[in-house]
Amino acid sequence: MLDTLKNSFVECGGRERARVLMDEGTFRELLGPFEGLESPHLEPQGIVPQSDDGVVIAKGTIEGRPAVVISIEGSFQGGGIGEVSGAKIAGALEMALDENKSGHTIIPIFIFDTGGVRLQEANYGLLSIAEIGAAIVALRKYVPVIGVIPGKIGAFGGMSINAGLCSTLIITREGRLGLNGPEVIEQEAGIQEFDSTDRKRIWNTIGGRQRVAAGFADIEAEDDIASFRKAILSAILQGPVEKPRSSQVERYLAFLGSINTSAVLTPQKVQDLWAETDYYYSEEYDSANKNNVVKIKSRGHRWFNLLSAGSKNISAVPSVLCSDSNIGSESVRFLAVVPDQSSRFPRARSGEFGLEQGWMIAKHVRDAIEEDKYKEDKRAIVAVVDVPSQAYGYREELLGIHQACAAAADAYATARLAGHPVIAFIPGKAISGAFLSHGLQANRLIALDDEGVNVHVMSKKSAARITQRTIEELEEAAKKVPSMAYDIRSFEKLGALHELISDLNADAPGETDRDVIFNSIQAAIKDIQNNPSDLSSRLSSDFAKEGGRSASILVRKMLADQW
Amino acid sequence: MEKLNFRFPATQMLESNAHVGVVGSGDLEILMEPSDQGYADVTVRTGTTGFNQIWEKVLERFFSQHAISANIKINDFGATPGVVSLRLSQALEVGKNAGYIKK
Repeated sequence: MLDTLKNSFVECGGRERARVLMDEGTFRELLGPFEGLESPHLEPQGIVPQSDDGVVIAKGTIEGRPAVVISIEGSFQGGGIGEVSGAKIAGALEMALDENKSGHTIIPIFIFDTGGVRLQEANYGLLSIAEIGAAIVALRKYVPVIGVIPGKIGAFGGMSINAGLCSTLIITREGRLGLNGPEVIEQEAGIQEFDSTDRKRIWNTIGGRQRVAAGFADIEAEDDIASFRKAILSAILQGPVEKPRSSQVERYLAFLGSINTSAVLTPQKVQDLWAETDYYYSEEYDSANKNNVVKIKSRGHRWFNLLSAGSKNISAVPSVLCSDSNIGSESVRFLAVVPDQSSRFPRARSGEFGLEQGWMIAKHVRDAIEEDKYKEDKRAIVAVVDVPSQAYGYREELLGIHQACAAAADAYATARLAGHPVIAFIPGKAISGAFLSHGLQANRLIALDDEGVNVHVMSKKSAARITQRTIEELEEAAKKVPSMAYDIRSFEKLGALHELISDLNADAPGETDRDVIFNSIQAAIKDIQNNPSDLSSRLSSDFAKEGGRSASILVRKMLADQW
Repeated sequence: MEKLNFRFPATQMLESNAHVGVVGSGDLEILMEPSDQGYADVTVRTGTTGFNQIWEKVLERFFSQHAISANIKINDFGATPGVVSLRLSQALEVGKNAGYIKK
């Protein structure tokens, strides 16, 4: 047989990747380089912007079927998601959602080549990534959302969570998929946890082949344009996926339950255990936790107890709390993640958001959706947010922590779309991947105005290492760009908060403090019931309109005009 | 970051917009838009400061050979003079053939 020359897909730039997937002559770029939509946040920090902000949005057809391709240019700022690039992606998915809702099928294809949030725009990236995730979850019902990870950079950080939300994931051997990049794990957990120079180990942990074999991606594509087109077409023909990966809670919990965390975990072992989960179901995560620990372990824990008023905790793992209670006539399910020094995952013992936390939150939220399925009044779901970070570790990456985060984000978004009022109450830290998973998919965000309440993307040390700046330089930049700051008042300026509540005792709240929060939650529930179930309120708030999200709003408007 | 402006006399026309390159390590992005003002207006933004004279030499040489009337934006991420010249020629090719170039 004649072996024809291959055309590399991986070697193409972001724009070219979008073009070669489309039928010849059908590629039409929206918000292209001459539209003047570059990031407004980079030049003030002395960084040269790019004219398309590193994201290509194009419409066209694939084998005659209308499609919108979103392609991230990994060479610009590591494919990091800032306000403009994030709004381009979220806006394109929202437009595709509208089209599909009105009966015009258009397939979204999402080419990932990104390190996640662009650290120079920090919280803008975080908000955008949540909006992208929200759109993916809403779209999957109508069409398959096809994620492609060709490689060079891969899909990391918050964008790995969005990859985990896709209906179908196509990846090459060269592609990598993981929540935390090797350098960040090394910085946060030490070189004995993960050596960021050990390339073989990196690819064996988060590389494409391992990801397909261990149940975190669907198709391994050859690095050849024809191979990608074929894989994408097969995903299109398959139609909407009924049970996307991030909703397969039982299977992944069984998989997690089968892991012996006191033994060395090899990539091969993970593949074997994954293959076995098809056949049996572990009951480890089924029964409620028998020895409920009463000792209060964190600020979030204290607030959870106060708000849930001593209702029974029905969670099976000590680090996740779940109680059903009432506020006035409203029934509410409260959820929190708290420290657990005895957790079998050592990297998630101090309240971090890890594997068990992600899948258990997903389980508890989905249980509520299932139980209220036929009820007219869906119970409210309140996430009590005090999460210092995601868990950084080798085992976490190998077992797909990004997928656990996606599961939680998916569950909250699904609850929101099903008509549950979902509220995130933030009395403590709301950091990065942990916040994306536990909080940012809520209809409304309520935070305490307190020094201990922080929203950010990465610890200063890690951010300094990744962006090759000093901590002093970072702090200087944060003064000019509010999205880079860590305090809640700066975050408020971005317009995503529904309410910022002052003058409460955040550390030792009493009944009066509780009642203030109850009132606020009740008001939020009312507000949610009279408004759309998406995240659009974050863009229509006064802060957002008065400058907090100017670029996000402008990008969406221009995109709608050009669509 | 440094912002540099240059202007060169022009006698030739450019047919269409041209966009090449990426603001990635050792590379640069060039946007050319045709104009009928009779000169080439070049705005360079570069993260590598202190090379004004080299920019001037490289651009002067290019625009003396190709005196196109256009607005040109250059977003640079540490490209060498060789790469700059190459990308300029590439942009010119795109702008004159009204097509696109693989990148």
